[in-house]
Amino acid sequence: MSIKIRMRGKAKGGLAEVKALIKHPMESGARMNKKTGKPYPANYINVVEVLVNGTKAIDAQWGGAVSANPYVGVKVKANKGDKVTLNVASNIGDKGTDSITLR
Amino acid sequence: MKRRSFLKGTLATGAAAVAVNAGLLTPSTVLADWNKKAFAAKKVDEALNGMYGTATATTSGDISLKAPAIAENGAVTPITIDASKMKGVESISIIAAKNPTPLVCEYTFASAAEGYVSTRIKMGETQNVVAIVKAGGKLYKAEQEVKVTIGGCGG
Repeated sequence: MSIKIRMRGKAKGGLAEVKALIKHPMESGARMNKKTGKPYPANYINVVEVLVNGTKAIDAQWGGAVSANPYVGVKVKANKGDKVTLNVASNIGDKGTDSITLR
Repeated sequence: MKRRSFLKGTLATGAAAVAVNAGLLTPSTVLADWNKKAFAAKKVDEALNGMYGTATATTSGDISLKAPAIAENGAVTPITIDASKMKGVESISIIAAKNPTPLVCEYTFASAAEGYVSTRIKMGETQNVVAIVKAGGKLYKAEQEVKVTIGGCGG
């Protein structure tokens, strides 16, 4: 299943603030299902990458304690017209990607 | 209701995280290596050792850690860490000291990125949020207490 990402970013003076919202339950594997008495299976994004024009700028690792529907706010050195890509992958193998051209 | 089950659930995170690391994680599908050891650690020092190989960090005033003094909903606590004043920032980690697995997330920066991270994290109870910044090969930290109100009436 692919993970949905919404991204926006704006460049100013060589620095671009990129914001993204990812649609994901971020189930840590600790929350109990009261009906069955068993925990909901872990399903969370654990690897996040930010690329600028195809070159890796940020490499992030997440645990299950990042909130559901995660927000990502980062700053990269990029100018207007540069392409910023966000790649994510979850512990059960779901992947998602989105890119924007900076305005 | 959701929060209640979350709070209950956090108590069992430790054991569950170990189970996850043992079985469910499929290395072939992740983009980069995921640091199992650090994320499964139940103590702050263990997590730091697993991530950086050391647990000594110096408190630094150059790190700006923005977190709410009171979080009415512990499941969505906005955290912003700005270490762009520091030179050569290599990595930023967020640690929730009393969470069952304290390490929340870790960001590694290449030359094309600034030492800035903004995210939202889950917190089980009132505790300190610690920002760990690795710059020039050394670890620096900044701490702030976040009160998590259970009643949800802002008090």
